[in-house]
Amino acid sequence: MSFPPFITRLGRGVKSTFRTLAEIIYGATIHEMVRDLRKERAHLEHLFILIVFGDILGIPILPPYYTLHLLPYIAPNITGWKRSLLRERDLTDLCDQEIG
Amino acid sequence: MNAVVTLLIGLVAIAVGYGVYAKSINKNVMNPDEKKATPAKMYMDGVDFTPANRNVLFGYQFKSIAALGPITGPIVAVQWGWLPALLWIIFGTFFIGWVQDFSTIMMGVREEGQSLGALSYRFVSPRARTILLTFIYFYLLLIMGAFGKIVGYDLMTNPAVPLGVLLVIGVGLLAGQMTYKWKMDIILTSAITVILAFVGIWLGTLPGVKNLFLAINGGETSPVVFGSVTQAQFIWSLVTLVICYFGAILPIWRWAQPINYVAFWIVFLGIAAGTVGLLVWRPSIPADFPAFTNWNGNLCAASDCSGLEKTPLALGALWPLLFVTIACGAISGWHSLVSSSGTARQLESEADALYVGGGAMFLEMFLAVLSLLTAVVGVGATTGFAGYVGMIAAGKNAGVFAVGLSEMMSRIGVPTSFGLPYGSVFLTLMALTIMYLVVRFMRVASAEFMGDKVPLFKNATFGSIVALLLSAVLIYTGFWARIWVLFGGANQLMAALTLLLITLWLMSKGKSYMWTLIPFVFMYITTIGALLLTAYNTIHQVMTTPGLAIDLVVGNWLAGLIAIYLVISALILGWDSLQAFQRQRAASVEAKAKV
Repeated sequence: MSFPPFITRLGRGVKSTFRTLAEIIYGATIHEMVRDLRKERAHLEHLFILIVFGDILGIPILPPYYTLHLLPYIAPNITGWKRSLLRERDLTDLCDQEIG
Repeated sequence: MNAVVTLLIGLVAIAVGYGVYAKSINKNVMNPDEKKATPAKMYMDGVDFTPANRNVLFGYQFKSIAALGPITGPIVAVQWGWLPALLWIIFGTFFIGWVQDFSTIMMGVREEGQSLGALSYRFVSPRARTILLTFIYFYLLLIMGAFGKIVGYDLMTNPAVPLGVLLVIGVGLLAGQMTYKWKMDIILTSAITVILAFVGIWLGTLPGVKNLFLAINGGETSPVVFGSVTQAQFIWSLVTLVICYFGAILPIWRWAQPINYVAFWIVFLGIAAGTVGLLVWRPSIPADFPAFTNWNGNLCAASDCSGLEKTPLALGALWPLLFVTIACGAISGWHSLVSSSGTARQLESEADALYVGGGAMFLEMFLAVLSLLTAVVGVGATTGFAGYVGMIAAGKNAGVFAVGLSEMMSRIGVPTSFGLPYGSVFLTLMALTIMYLVVRFMRVASAEFMGDKVPLFKNATFGSIVALLLSAVLIYTGFWARIWVLFGGANQLMAALTLLLITLWLMSKGKSYMWTLIPFVFMYITTIGALLLTAYNTIHQVMTTPGLAIDLVVGNWLAGLIAIYLVISALILGWDSLQAFQRQRAASVEAKAKV
């Protein structure tokens, strides 16, 4: 069954308005929770990479045989990990995550 | 004038401010490039830099900037009359507020997502960053003092409120358990917990419960414990601090996050119901509610105070104090911190900056106008101007909002017997959700400042207790209105610093900068004036008032000294800024000469 173009346009408009509202409410509620969880996971991952592949940053950790097995899995994250670890931070960096 | 007309004026200001002025600046000065990769895309690491949809980011930005400031500030500022408060909210947002929020995001995006601290180090001076950090610490402490006093002295002392607040906190913890441990669907979790929260608020209004809390308060007239602090104020301020302690110590997913989530729905539904109620009601601003009282914000000169137990504190000169009394809602330095560290690192496209930064600020302006109306028509239409004066005199600043909101909600069928405690729980939650995160932040700050010298500060419990003790001193002493002005002052100084940074950044890029320089000069001079006046008022009051209670003496000295410290910091910052300004001008003259 086809609707007149006016009704179709109206339906699209209503749908788009609801989607926008839903996204805004998501941003005001869940978004930060998701970010915090992502951060938690990323911090653990970064810590793991630091312990296992610290030599990439100049920390004298001899890469044992097994860490080489992990290298293919870690490789895609190395650039982001280095940037995140070496980035200078101060209190103003924490404003969004601690206060929100 | 009708209240709906006031809302329409706000909407017109948004249409012109956002649709004409902001868009013209965006197009002619900032020239956003949709194709240019933002830091969120370039440096995506899943930690700080992650692109997010513009609507999601709008919600995030609005939630981050709109707390108790845009609600309480306008209510207090009505002491000068509703017209000056309304004009500052509209013109402050129009010429300064959105400018700061939007430009900070753009500066962050164009400068690879650097934080405000790093940018002030680079563009102003190394010590500018240190000053910024001390501003932040004082700002946080003053938040604790101002919000803590609102909750402990004003809202929770109403016997219909504490049970509702405690049960909402309990329901929030349940929400965390359901989401993270039982892995339940978020929609089901939301429905169950929000309904339970409403039931909790209703339980608090039952006569038996109210009598219980009245007994805890020590009766209708709560006895004085020390100085001028009553038993109810002492107990509920302490409870507030204990809640903050748990919020600071427990993992964020266990306490802060789920409680904030449930609180969001209480607040969101309250604002929606209040707005609809106002539109249905369409009241006129009462004839006895003055558009302008007097230049000193002295309510007793505008109304008869002879029947009042306490005389309301005259805030002082309209300029500069009005401009720091309403901080959030017109302009706030805190927004710049959120914009640079949070939003700028999640922006998917440069073209979204105006919608997210400017749009959220204009929406906050609308919230501030709505809050102003709760005092003027919500309270004014029922008890008249004298009712407002009586509540301010009794220290019920936040209570004004609760009364006004309940009056608006009553027009759509919500009984005031529920609406009144609901309004108080709404505000208490708004304050608490910020306060325990502030303590978290303060302990991180003290660990960074002091951790190397005193390793004990690295201990989370110790750091939190120190932060709470400092907060307790501010809560239990002095006048709330003074702390509020100082809180606004620290906030506006941060805003001035940000506007200066943006000006220097625009100069370095060879762009037009008068639209940020003029707001900076205005905010800088106004804030220093406000802080000097507050220092004078507080110390002068101690010197000239015989028999002032000990807590008020301590509080006034403390407020005076903090004000003086902030002024000295601002002057050092001004000097550094002047030098940075001259450096930039010399650099641009040199660059032109080379061309």
